[in-house]
Amino acid sequence: MRVVAWGLRSLGRQPLRTALSLAGIAVAAAMLLDMVMLSGGIDRSFSDLLLVRGYQLRLTPKGTLPFDTEAAMAGASGIVAALRRDRDVEAAGAVLGTSLYARDADSLVTLFGYGIEPEAQGLYQVTSGRDLSPGDTAGILLGEPAARLLQAGAGDTVTLVGRLDPQVAGAALGSRLVVRGIVRWLYDARDQPSVGTVLPVMQRLSGPTAGDRASLILVKARADDQVPALAERLRARFPAVEVNSAAELVVHFRQRLVYFRQLSYILGSMSLIVTVLLIATLLTIGVNERLGEIATLRAIGVSRGTVVRQVLAEGGVLTVLGAALGILLGLLTARYLDAILTRFPGLPAAFSFFVPRADTLGFAAIVLLVTGFRAGLYPAWLAARAPIAATLRAEAT
Amino acid sequence: MIPPPLLARDLRKDYRMNGETVHALRGVSLRVDAGDYVAIAGPSGSGKSTLLQLLGGIDTPTAGVVELLGTRLDALSDRELTHLRLTRVGFIFQRFHLLPVLTARENVELPMAEAGVARGERRERAEQLLAYVGLAHRGAHRATQLSGGEMQRVAIARALANRPTVLLADEPTGELDAATGREILELFRRLNDDGTTLIVVTHDDRLAAEAGRAIHMLDGTIRD
Repeated sequence: MRVVAWGLRSLGRQPLRTALSLAGIAVAAAMLLDMVMLSGGIDRSFSDLLLVRGYQLRLTPKGTLPFDTEAAMAGASGIVAALRRDRDVEAAGAVLGTSLYARDADSLVTLFGYGIEPEAQGLYQVTSGRDLSPGDTAGILLGEPAARLLQAGAGDTVTLVGRLDPQVAGAALGSRLVVRGIVRWLYDARDQPSVGTVLPVMQRLSGPTAGDRASLILVKARADDQVPALAERLRARFPAVEVNSAAELVVHFRQRLVYFRQLSYILGSMSLIVTVLLIATLLTIGVNERLGEIATLRAIGVSRGTVVRQVLAEGGVLTVLGAALGILLGLLTARYLDAILTRFPGLPAAFSFFVPRADTLGFAAIVLLVTGFRAGLYPAWLAARAPIAATLRAEAT
Repeated sequence: MIPPPLLARDLRKDYRMNGETVHALRGVSLRVDAGDYVAIAGPSGSGKSTLLQLLGGIDTPTAGVVELLGTRLDALSDRELTHLRLTRVGFIFQRFHLLPVLTARENVELPMAEAGVARGERRERAEQLLAYVGLAHRGAHRATQLSGGEMQRVAIARALANRPTVLLADEPTGELDAATGREILELFRRLNDDGTTLIVVTHDDRLAAEAGRAIHMLDGTIRD
C-alpha cells in the first residue's frame, strides 16, 4: 500500500494527539501565511492602488509626497499643458486638495475638497449618477461619506464654503453646486467626507492664493517601459517639482513601513520554528512508541529507505493537512487584522495590509512543505537506525 | 553439491549489559538441511533466541560464521542482508508483530510489496496464503480485530509471502492458549510436510516433540 495511506492510518492511531498537533500546525501555518502576506502585501496593495487608473507618475511640490502637506505647485496649468504636448504622455491632469466646508442647516461641516480635471483624473470611480464634464463649474461630485453627511444625492444642491477668514471667523467665499454623481475616492481614509469640483472652482474656494496652483499632477505614460526615462526627463524639465513614479513611491512607502516587514519576518520565522518543533516532536514520539514495530519491519526485510519514506510521509501528511487548515485560518485572521489595521488614521480605506495572492499562498505552502519534510528528517533517521535485535529483545521482555 | 539452507560454525555472541559482558553464545555450530524441522529448546537465557537472530541475519555474531544457501552473511552489506531477509528468510515472532493499521491481507502483502511484486500478483498470493492458514474470510480485517491465534496465523502467512528458504519462529505459541497453540503446531507440521524448512525456538515441550529434530541449549551452548 502507498506510504501516504499508511501514514494517514498511522496518524489515526492517536486521533486526539494528531488533532491537537494539526491544530498547532494550522495556527503556526496561519501565522506564517499572514506574515508572508503582510511582508509583501503592503507593497503590492499600495502599488495596485497607485496604478488603479493607470497613472504611473505623480508631480508634487518639491520635497513632499501627494497630499503630505498643504504645499502646492504654482503655474499648474502651464505644467499640465506642457505635459500634454509631450509625445510620451497619454494624459495629464492637475489636482488641488484643500479643506472646505458645507452648510448644513445653521452649521458648517468640514469636508475635504478635490479640484480635478475630469478629462484626466485618477482619483475616483463614479458609483452612481454621472461624472463631471470639463468646464462644469456648477457641478460637484460627492464621496459616499460626504453624501451621507450632507444627506444629498445626484441632482441635489449643496452649498460649499471656502476657507474661513480668521479675522472675521466667516466664510471667505461660497458656492451653490449641483450634485452630478456619487463617487468612490480611491485614496480616501475610511469615512473621509470628500467632494470634488473642477479645478478652477476648487482653486477659487481655496482662496485667492490658490490661483493656478495644484497639489498634485497625475501623468499617464503611453507605455509602462517608458516610465523611468519619462520621469528622468520630467525631473530635468521641471526642477521645481518632485517627480515620482509609482514604483518610487512604493519604495518611499516601504521605507516608512519597514517596521511591518521586520515584524513579519520575525513572526514568520517563529511560526516556522514552531511548525518544525511540533512535527518533529509528534513524529519522534510516534517513532519511539513504534520502535518494536519498526524493528519487526526491518527484521522481515523492509529496507531503511522504506522506513524513512514512511516516517517522512507521516510528516508530509501532517504538514499538508495542517497547511490546508492553516491557509483557511490565515485568510480569516488576515481579514480580521486588515479591518483593524486599515482603521489607522490617514490610510486609504482601499489599502490592504494582507493581500492574498496565488503566488503568496504558493510560497507559504512550499515553505511549509519543505519545513514539514525537514522536520521529519530526525525521526526518520531515528527510525532507520533502530537496532533490530536489541529492540526485539527489549520488546520480548 | 547444493549447500545446506543454513550452516552455523562456532557462533559466539557477547553483549554488554549494565557494564558487564554477557556471553550469550559460546561456540554454537549447527547444520540445517532442506526440509528439516528443527526445534531449539532450553530455559530462558540459554541463548536460543540469540541463535535464531544470528541465523536470520538480524544480528551479527561476535565470532563465527553463518551461511545461508552457501552465502556468508558477514560478507554482505546491510542492504544485501536486508534483501536476503526479505527474500530468503521468513520470521515469526512470539508477539506476532503485525502492523495494527493494516488489514490481514495488507500485512501479508507487505513483504511482497517491498520485494516489488506486482499489485495483482501479491493480492492473489496473499489471498492464497490466508486461505492456507485458514483465514480466507478475515483478509479485510485489521490486525487489531483478530484473536491471538488468528494474528499468529497471519504472521505465518506474512513470513511465507516471498517463498523463503527457511522459516524462523521465536516462541510462536508463547502468547497463545493451549488449544490455539495446538492449531499453530498443526500448521507448522503441515508446512513442513509441504517442504518448508523450519527452525522453531520454544519452551513448549509439545512443540519440541513435534519437530523432527530437537536441539537443547544451556548457557549458550548446545547440549545435545
